[in-house]
Amino acid sequence: MSVDRSVARQGVTDALPLFVPAVPFGLVIGLAIADSGMNLLVGWSSSSIVFAGAAQLTLITLLGSGAAAVAAVGTALVVNARHLMYSAALAPAFQRQPAWFRRLGPYLLIDQVFALVAVRPEEEPDRFRTYYLAVGATFWSLWLAVTALGIVIGPVIPEEWNLEFAVPILFVGLLVLGIDRWPKVVAALGGAATTYLAAGLPNRTGLLAGAIVGILAGTFAERYRDG
Amino acid sequence: MGDLIAVLVVGLGSYLFRSIFILALANRRIPDQVLVGLRFVAPAVMAALVVALLTDSEGNVAIGLPEATALLVGGAVAQTTKNHIWTLFAGMTVFWVVQALL
Repeated sequence: MSVDRSVARQGVTDALPLFVPAVPFGLVIGLAIADSGMNLLVGWSSSSIVFAGAAQLTLITLLGSGAAAVAAVGTALVVNARHLMYSAALAPAFQRQPAWFRRLGPYLLIDQVFALVAVRPEEEPDRFRTYYLAVGATFWSLWLAVTALGIVIGPVIPEEWNLEFAVPILFVGLLVLGIDRWPKVVAALGGAATTYLAAGLPNRTGLLAGAIVGILAGTFAERYRDG
Repeated sequence: MGDLIAVLVVGLGSYLFRSIFILALANRRIPDQVLVGLRFVAPAVMAALVVALLTDSEGNVAIGLPEATALLVGGAVAQTTKNHIWTLFAGMTVFWVVQALL
């Protein structure tokens, strides 16, 4: 296998600046794992097994707050459903790749990897693969390191700092950053109101109801907007 | 054990989402209706999560003034700076300051 070192180096240098905004995210996930009461190694294993910040934070926070596993798993999976779009968008580029990479590549297909490789679909297959692996491996190794760091420093930080409150702040940030049109406001309000009204449902299953109603509300609002 | 199974199920599901079109449905398109729906996953779920984290299991609001102020400021900073680091920094600082003042 011929590896083009300059392409690999390009992948690493493109990935590093995109990783910077993910650093606080990874630290907060580590803190959430330390705070959740779950086995630390199991919590940290989510960084390699799930490898997706928002879904990991959702899963860990909900499991830690006593939600039923089905609600925690269901909500985390809904969060990651957006990856279907990435899979569909990159499918043509992957058809020119060897079988081993068609199986390994999707494992690394997170938001930032997609953002970097989606603009190079026409690239020669060897170069595409080297670049993809360099970007993916950079994110993967840094992500495992940063979440581990969060787990280590979590217990050292005094409890009265209430650092666990960083979790809802981070979710509010993700919410605000994702809103670029009014149907998304409708989706957010629908999700929030339904979750609030369904709070009495056992084991936080109201959260799943909120997610589904929010998505449907946004879809209808979009249809109304398009006339 | 239960937690590990939950992590494994989410990991497997995420891999399926990321791989299904690449491995199995390369010539299929996602129906337009589904594509539109996927756009609203993030706002719907994030808003639902925030509400779930701020209410107790009986639906009572479980936050005080420091939390509410911090979330409003955090949201405003996210809107202005588009940056998670500033959002976290501003939100937590406001939270600590308001808490100390009360």
